[in-house]
This record gives sequence, C-alpha cells and structure tokens, in this order.
Amino acid sequence: MKNRILSVCLIFGAALAFLPSAAPGQETALPAAGNPGLRYEIWVELDAAGKMLAGKEEIIWTNPTRDAVPDMLLHLYWNAFKNEASAYMREAAAESRSVRGPAPDDGEWGWIDVSDIRLADGTDLKPAFGFVTPDGPDAPDDQTVGRVLFPAPVQPGESVHLRIEFKSKIPRTVARSGYYKNSFFIGQWFPKPGVYEEGKGWNCHAYHLNSEFFADFADFVVHITVPRGFVIGSSGKSVETRTDESAGTTTTTFRQSMVHDFAWMADPRYLKIERDFIAAKEVTAREYEDIAELLGLPIEEVRLPDVKMTLLIAPEHKGQIDRHFKALRAALKYYGLWYGPYPYETVTMVDPPFRTASGGMEYPTLFTAGTQVLASKNQLSPEMVIIHEFGHGYWYGLVANNEFEAAWLDEGFNTYSTTRVLAVAYGPGALPLFFKGFPLDWFLRVPKIFDFETNRIAAINTVRFDPVTAWSWQFYHRMSYSMNVYMRAATLLSTLEGLLGEPAWSRIMRTYHMRYRFRHPAKSDFVAVVNEVAGKDMTWFFDELVDGTRPFDYGVDGLASVKVPARLRGVFDANGTREEWTEEKIEKLEAAGPSESGTPGTMYRTTVKIRRYGDARIGGDARIEVLVRFKDGTTETRTWDGQGRWTRLEFIKPVEAESAQIDPRGVWLIDENLANNSRGTDGVRRNVVKLMTQLLFSVQFVLHFFGSWS
Amino acid sequence: MGVIKAIVNGLGITARKPKVLVILYVINLVFAAAVAFPFLAIVQSELGHSFLGSSVRPLDLMWLGEAALKHGDALPALIGGLAVGGLLYLALHIFLNGGLVGRLLDREGPATLAAFAGDSGRYFWRYVRLFLMSLVFYVLALGVFMELVSGLFRPLADGALTEWLPLILSNLHFLVALLLLSIVHMIVDYARIAVVADEERRVLKALRHALTFLRKRFFRAWSIYLLIAAGTVAGTVIFSIVLGRLGAPAVAVVAAALVGMQIYVLFRIWIRMLFVAAQAEFYRSHPY
Repeated sequence: MKNRILSVCLIFGAALAFLPSAAPGQETALPAAGNPGLRYEIWVELDAAGKMLAGKEEIIWTNPTRDAVPDMLLHLYWNAFKNEASAYMREAAAESRSVRGPAPDDGEWGWIDVSDIRLADGTDLKPAFGFVTPDGPDAPDDQTVGRVLFPAPVQPGESVHLRIEFKSKIPRTVARSGYYKNSFFIGQWFPKPGVYEEGKGWNCHAYHLNSEFFADFADFVVHITVPRGFVIGSSGKSVETRTDESAGTTTTTFRQSMVHDFAWMADPRYLKIERDFIAAKEVTAREYEDIAELLGLPIEEVRLPDVKMTLLIAPEHKGQIDRHFKALRAALKYYGLWYGPYPYETVTMVDPPFRTASGGMEYPTLFTAGTQVLASKNQLSPEMVIIHEFGHGYWYGLVANNEFEAAWLDEGFNTYSTTRVLAVAYGPGALPLFFKGFPLDWFLRVPKIFDFETNRIAAINTVRFDPVTAWSWQFYHRMSYSMNVYMRAATLLSTLEGLLGEPAWSRIMRTYHMRYRFRHPAKSDFVAVVNEVAGKDMTWFFDELVDGTRPFDYGVDGLASVKVPARLRGVFDANGTREEWTEEKIEKLEAAGPSESGTPGTMYRTTVKIRRYGDARIGGDARIEVLVRFKDGTTETRTWDGQGRWTRLEFIKPVEAESAQIDPRGVWLIDENLANNSRGTDGVRRNVVKLMTQLLFSVQFVLHFFGSWS
Repeated sequence: MGVIKAIVNGLGITARKPKVLVILYVINLVFAAAVAFPFLAIVQSELGHSFLGSSVRPLDLMWLGEAALKHGDALPALIGGLAVGGLLYLALHIFLNGGLVGRLLDREGPATLAAFAGDSGRYFWRYVRLFLMSLVFYVLALGVFMELVSGLFRPLADGALTEWLPLILSNLHFLVALLLLSIVHMIVDYARIAVVADEERRVLKALRHALTFLRKRFFRAWSIYLLIAAGTVAGTVIFSIVLGRLGAPAVAVVAAALVGMQIYVLFRIWIRMLFVAAQAEFYRSHPY
C-alpha cells in the first residue's frame, strides 16, 4: 500500500490530512466540527389548540463563492399544502389516488407566511420579497419558494444577517408533517435558504410530490415552546429547558452543528427513553480487526464512538422498545464500521405519532420509524425502517447530495446499505403481509426473503420507465420514481459490488462517504471514486445501466451435446489415393474401439448458445462467464465480452454436457431474467413439481370456494 | 333433534356415501387441471430446464417478479381465464348441488354416478332460481346491512386516539360480516334442502319453508353451522401445520405434499357434504 496525501473537504473549507498507512483512495480522518457558512437561531411556539406555529428566525449566511450574490431564495415548504395550485398538489392530482394519498380536507390546509423579513440593521426587505417558480411554468401559483432581494449584493466572503418572522398553519396529515389531535410532527417548517452554487446561483427547487430536500450545512440553535406537559423530541441536543408557569408553556433549547435541517415533534402522551450506544460492548476486537483489514485502515480509524440514543414512542408500542433500540444499535454499528463513525453525540428515534403521516422519514440526528400494535417478530418491519432512516443520517445527512436532482445518491445508497445491515444483523424477514391488522405469519407459513430480492423485482420492472438519475419530479410516475431511485439503484449497487468484489467495493464506499462527508456530491463524484479506488474505468457501467433505460438480460439459449463420428463422411484424398468414407465404414471403425481404430474413442460436441436478449451491454473488462458442467462431473468455464447479440461456444469432450450456466457467481443481479441464465438437460425439477402441485391445489381451492357460493 | 346429534347423524350419512365425495372430487380435480394448465405450462417452460427451478419456492419473489415482467401483458387474460373458469365452475356446482343434496337426503338410496347425475338434472333449474334469489340476500347482507355497520363504526374509528380502536372496529366489522354471511349461507342451504326434502317445485315456497323453520330454532341451527365451520378452521390449521413441517423438497416430501394437498381438498368437499347432511338431518327431524 502506498502512502498518500488525502484530502478531506469540509463545507466551505478544506482541510488536509496526512495519512501514513491508508490504502489507495482511502479517506480516513474524521472531519472536525465545521464552521459552516450558515447559522440559524429560531424561536418557535406551538399553538396546540389552533394548530399554528409562530416563529422568529435569524439567518446568518456567508457567501462562500466568488460571485456577488444579489438575492436569497428561501424554501417555504408548507405552502405546498396551501391549495391545489401548488406544484405538489398539481403533481399529486396527476397520480392515481392509491399512490398520491389523500388531499387535505376543507379547513385542514397548511401554509407558511413570512410576516416580516429584514436585515439585522432593521432594513425592511418585505417589499423586496416575493414568490418565484424556479422549476418552470407548470405550477405558476406555487408559493414554496420565496425570493428576497438584498439592497446590495453580498460580496464573496461577506455575510448577510436576516431576521424573519413567520406564522404557519400546521397541515393535517399530508406528507411528513402534520398533526392529529394533540400529536404534532413538525418537519420542513421554517424558511430555509437553498444552496448557492458558484456560477449557477441558488439551487432552490419547489416542493414536489416526488422529491425530498436539499440545503446547506449549518449551525442551529432552536428554542421550541410547547404547552406544558408535552413530550418533545428534536434534532440536536437539548441544552436547556425552562417552564413558564404563567403561560403554561415549556421552552426547550436544542443545539446542533453541521446539519442541514431541523425537525421536531410534540405529543403529551409519548414516552421518552434514553439509552447509550456503547461501542466497546457492541463491536468486538475481532470485528475491528476484520474491518480495518478489509478497508486497509489502521484500527484506530475504524473505532466507533459512543452515542446517546433517545426513543420517543407511543405508549401502545411500549412493548417494542427493546426492538427499536436493538435495530438502532445494529445500524449505528454497521454504518459506522463500513462507512465511518457517526459524528454526532445524539440520535433521536421517533415512533411516528398516530395519523400524522410522518413515519419513515429522515432528518439530521432525528428520524421517524414506524410500527403497529400487532407486530410480528419475523417481519422485520420496524427494524427495516429504523435502519433505513437512521442510515439516511449517512446518505443524505452527512453525504448530502441534492435530493431533488439526484435522489438515487441517497435513497439508492441507503436502500442498498439497509439491505446489507438487515442481512448481517437479522437475516431474511417474513414478507410483511397483514390481514385486518394481524401479521399473516402468525397464522400461515409466510416466506422469508432478503430485501435484495424485492429490490431486484422493482429494478427489473421499472428499468424501461426512467433512468435512475432522472430529477425527482420528472419521473414517469410516482411508482417509477420510488422504485428506480430506491430499489433499482440499490440493485445496481449490489451488482457493482459483485462485479468489483468485496475488498474494492468496501473501500470505494468508505472512500466516497468519508471524502464527501459534509459536502454535496453528484454522480460524477461517485464515479470518480469508483474508478480511482477500483483502479479501472467503470464509467460504462453508469452510462449503460444507471443513466440508461435498457433492460439487461443475457441468457443461455441452447445446450446440446452430439456424438462426434470417428470420421467424417464423404470422399477424401490422402497419400495419393482417394477413399470414400461411408456411414457403414465409419460404424465399423467405431465398433472396433479406440485402440483398433486409432481414434480417441467416443467424443461429443457440446454447443452452448448464449444470447444477449436485453439491449443493455456490459463494457470495460467485464465479461459474461459461462460455466459448462459435464456428466462426468468436470466443468469448463469460458467468457464472452457480451457485445454481440449472441455467441456460440463449442466443447469437444468424451462426455455429454449436463448443464450450462452464465454468471455462475451471481454477479449480475440486475439481469431481468435469471431463469434463462442456466439450462440443464434434465427436464424435471422437484421444486418445479412442487410448485405446480401447489398451483393446482390453489386453483382447486379457489374453485371450491367459488362453488360454495352456489 | 339436538345440535350434536344432527352433526353425528350427518357424519354417519357422509360416511355411507363416499361415492358422492369421489364424484365431487374428481370433477373438481379435472376442472382445476384444465383451468390451471396455462399456469402450469408457464412454470414448466420457464423453470423446467433452469437451475432456478431447483431453488424456486412458493411465493418466490425472484421468480414471480420475472414472471410478472415476462407475462405481465398476458396477466389480464390469465386472470380473466381464471375468473371465467370460476364462474363456469359456479354454474357447474349449481348443477352438482342437486346431486349432492339429492343423494345425501336419500338415506338408503344408491350414490352412483347415474343417481347423482339424475338428481343434478332434476333440481338444476330450481337451484338456479334459488341461487339468483340468494344474490338478493347477499346484497342485502353485505351491501346494505354492512354499510350500516360501517356507518356506525366510522365516526368511532375517525376519532380514535390510537390505532387500537380502528383495529378492533375493523375486526369487529369483519366478524359481523362473517357471521352475517354464515346466516345467509345457512338460509340458502336449508332452502336447498327444503326443495328436495319437501319435493317443493316452487323455490320461493322452499325458501319460506326454510325461513319458517329457522325462525323457530335459529340458534340451534346456527350452532350446527358454526360448529362445522369451526371444524373446518381446525382442519385447515392442522393441514397448515403438517404441510408447513415438511422439509426440503425430496421426492418423498414432494409426494407427501401432493397427497396432503389433495387430502385437504377432499376434506373441504367432505365438509361441504357434512354441512348438507347435518342440516338435512336437523331439518327433517323438525317438520316446519
């Protein structure tokens, strides 16, 4: 291993780290607490009865670019729930009812009003404030992005200090935010600047149905006032709590550095439980050694820190407290070991309040899980959500790609990572099937599956709709969005892992994560890391399979073994004479046996035809591996570059072939037809007979059921 | 006659008429094989020569996902075929009901195919009319009554503080629907029996016989129905447990699964016979 100088770039700055024993391409140093160019201090009060928020916000933004910036674009996400003219609601209306979810009922709309906006010196900017639609004319009345014009451009390195007052009506259960009775989940709730990109301006998209978020890393101080008796959970660390007896309120102050969002919840019924993730108890010395060796890092670089874990859970889910913490510990352990130590002191896990539509969502240092009162231990339902949403702390929270423009970089990476953690920590889980709220596996034998299986099904069924890399709201439909950016992307990453092998892949993921912690990488950054660490150009993979919409399917089209005659028939000239070899003569020759005839004995020509059924092609040095097994137990392996539509492979052996199989190591998980990857000469398989038996039985049963109503 | 005695007598009758069971089973098997053939052909063509066929499981998502992709376009036709098959079977079953009820009510009579077919033909049109009338009952029960129950439950569920109440109400709703269905089913069963037992040509009158009969001894009749239904559930649970414990698909295991599934189909058909026999015994012991 070579010594290298590696860089770890932090937001708005860069630091160099000299790492004496790192593998090529490895980033090893933990980023220090940064000094982001953005600071928030927010005071917000919950009016639980009126379902309103009243807030004041101070934003200090330092221009990190070489541009003179004349304005600021602010996300006002809750205006997506203000009326049916918002981009969100228009896009929802275009979807089928089953996927778009219910629209707010009358009187239940949500919104955010910027009632005052001025500079710290008191200059009123309200007259220079208005709504803009940066995503084009499709939703001209959308009010989810506001623009404020500064009296003078903010010069490079200069700061602007804004004071904003806002009032918000909390929506009733729309998406990710809302209330139900006295339960509140508050996300995407404050005016939040977009991300300024040098030479391009503000990256600040409208709130779309099929998109999540993008913001800059910042230091937050948030003072949350709620009616006394409410249990509160929030991003960041609680540093102070004050009770105002006369007002009947409690104010809690939370602080957190280097995060790009801030969410909280309040509910008077909730239980709050705190436990510690103690790394020394969770990770053995052997595990540290193994991962350090795999990653080519010193053990000290892979050691995990302790973390304070907080769970806010509904009383009716009290019996699942241990289950929640176990899943969170597994996530902290494996994400930490594989990608890098969790850099914050706290993580808060929220059991989503009933009917607030807030489950399964990530925010920095806080995430929402999701379970039900009747939960089977075999169904890894809360575990999957917990691991996934915590994992977003890594893929979105720390490596903060633009979720509007490249959602697959967090959803796909995180779905892939969730699948791995679940497999390692739990193994396969029963299909999450319910009947009337009861897990079906309580009554029936429900198959257990790994998540990669479901990921693959989605992948092969959505490839034709869109590339994984489409912008979130530009997918064909919501299903294409979610199945592509989550599951197809995860399947592609699994495929890439198989292609590159575990050591290289582990280092790629670690390097990418650590290099782009506290930054906003794009696809090209990941491709560059893959090429660098793998030591070869894998760009073709991304061009063909990630950016492409062409199905991938290589298969065995034919397998045949035929006896090779001892001589060919016909008239042959040899040694000045002409002789005709007839069928009879050849048969006699063969009957004489190899020693008499001088031939090598009975030989068989095995022909294997391999086809590229799909339009997608492999590239680079990748090859389609073909394994042919013969009846004497011997095998032969050949490869094909897979560029043409088909190839024919021939083998001359003294035995017939038993089977031919492409991709015997199961690398190409993205292949949409695994059934045609192999072909045997035997036509009856016990599992197939069993499956057919079950099919017949099912039909018998259905018919009997039909008949019983006559 | 008491509830238990009716069931015991019913058991005796079904034991004396195994040919009825065989006739119904063979028809079910042949019909099912015809309906399932396209599905079986797909499975064999896809997996018969593939290694995937050696590892495929029931509800195997890896393969089902592929099959959905490959045969997605044909899915409406396949489901349509299944639905048409189901409807045809329904019509066939109306025909078979005549034989079933006729032979079971004829205690000492033969259960030959000819006798079975004779009864099927004799009662067919009466049972068709009865079936059409039963639809009115089903619509009233599931459409009107259950909608009323839903209307009663909805405000409670909408105002729930936790998920417990909607869960309980949803299950309560389902239970009410099941009980209601059992009552309708039972009424139609007794009407069918009345057609044969009373040699009643007018179906409406047979239905009135059944209703009059049930009005006087509803809970005993319902107990017979529910006890046999409970037996069905118990049998299904045992079947599930036994089949669930079969191991890897060795030849013997596949054969055992095949036999086990067919035994279960036989069991369900026999249960259908028991419903008719026990209820017929009960009906005939209390002339309306």
